[in-house]
Amino acid sequence: MRRPPDRPRAVAEHLYRRDEDRRPEFWTEGLGEPLSVYGERIAFVEGRPLRRWEPYRSKLGAALARGWSGPIPSAGERWLYLGAATGTTASHVADLVGREGRVYAVERSLRPFARLLRLGERYPNLLPLLADARRPEAYLDRVPPVDGLYLDVAQPDQVDLALANARHFLRGSGALLLALKTSSMGREKEPRGHLAEALARLEGPWEVEETIPLDPFHKRHYLIGARPTRALLAAPSAPGVTRRAAPRAGRER
Amino acid sequence: MATGVLLREGPRAYWVEPGSPPVGASWAAGPLPEALRRRLPPPDRGDVACADPALGAVAAATGATVRSPTLAELRRARETLPPAPAAEERSWTLARARSDLAKALAQPVETLIALAREEERVERAVGREAGAVDQFLPGPAGELAEYARDWELYRAAQREHHDRLAARLDRLARSSVPNLSALVGPRVAARLLAAAGGLEPLGRATGARLQILGARRRPAGHGPRYGLIYRAARMTDVPPERRGRYARSLAALAVIAARADRFTQADLSAPLVARRDRRVEQLRRRS
Repeated sequence: MRRPPDRPRAVAEHLYRRDEDRRPEFWTEGLGEPLSVYGERIAFVEGRPLRRWEPYRSKLGAALARGWSGPIPSAGERWLYLGAATGTTASHVADLVGREGRVYAVERSLRPFARLLRLGERYPNLLPLLADARRPEAYLDRVPPVDGLYLDVAQPDQVDLALANARHFLRGSGALLLALKTSSMGREKEPRGHLAEALARLEGPWEVEETIPLDPFHKRHYLIGARPTRALLAAPSAPGVTRRAAPRAGRER
Repeated sequence: MATGVLLREGPRAYWVEPGSPPVGASWAAGPLPEALRRRLPPPDRGDVACADPALGAVAAATGATVRSPTLAELRRARETLPPAPAAEERSWTLARARSDLAKALAQPVETLIALAREEERVERAVGREAGAVDQFLPGPAGELAEYARDWELYRAAQREHHDRLAARLDRLARSSVPNLSALVGPRVAARLLAAAGGLEPLGRATGARLQILGARRRPAGHGPRYGLIYRAARMTDVPPERRGRYARSLAALAVIAARADRFTQADLSAPLVARRDRRVEQLRRRS
């Protein structure tokens, strides 16, 4: 029997899917009041408020639409979200972890952060932190050990940032989601080259579970899902600063 | 040797020793709470590992030997902490976020960036209103003519608002980026700062970058010659076909000014302005 096409059905806790069009469409159960965060569509299914996960606005949303089967945030977990910007994707992650979970959303730029803060004020489980992902020790006092690390920072040394933060915060059983933005890693190399390099860097400390290109939603982007290995967590040295000290120029306009 | 980790989490400090449950006490500033202080080992009996500089300093003040923890120590200790109460964690983190943001926005440079953006917006609004005047035919009398007078009042108020805003911006720019303001004019200096995103990126930019900062076209193939710098001081004194050259020379000087403003705080305005004016004369004479 064919299920009714126009109704999102639950595929995980707080996550819904609808297969009407060519690509699947994902919805999350919203927690904020008012519901809509960035102008996305709202629907009510069985009395539950759902927010459409716009794949063109969110890398994790795009990965799901492309058939992602790697780790995703699930109910009750704590996630550290680096590079939350105005909280578009972070709000969906917050929906997924639900009221029992927490999202620690780190953003460095002031103006996006002002909007993230406003979102945090109306989202029960989203905690905004004005900080630089390059200095994990600066938010040690606000972020407990977490079950997942989501990194979307548009910096050339994203992989190193993931490593440094994982060493401070990620539980052994946790997961890493890395949105690889290859155009921020230099134009001298093709996206595939950057991907291969990033995967090679991840090798060893991480066990890569899945990699997916995000086009046509986000060109030259990939999402990588990985799990930490013992090698990563048996950290060699004192809490350290990442290799590249000075942030590069550029602020979102 | 007894050793343990002193941690800070939210409004609390914890002492974690291997093999015993963590001891917590509320702490934000001031001396170390008595409950923790009693647990710290005396200097000859062990040391205290602490990653938080403020908390570490307080512990050191009690006479304990403080060192930074290894990552493994830190992880182990943090795993043992009880979860923070949800409501407390939330209110504490939000309060911290609000104060961090307020502090960051209150810096003179951030104020200048916000004002520069606002001024750009208001300038566009003034221009839009002025441009719309031609489209509107009120006639000599009647309802429309009355409206036109109202509208004129509104535009005058808007212009005045813009003038006040611009004066404020100029004053702030002269104090925050004095050299650059003297060289390219305070308004353009403020806009360059806003486009770069702060003093640090502005001070690290190259001349080529400053020259096209704020340009709308992408620098592919033959890139744009000017961005914000097209409206810099003395640009209109140069014949149109030489403005590209002037933009290049001015950008080279602007880099020196920006770096002085960011790094040395030296006053280079007189020699830079002299070099700028010499260049303008040179470009004018060649016609």
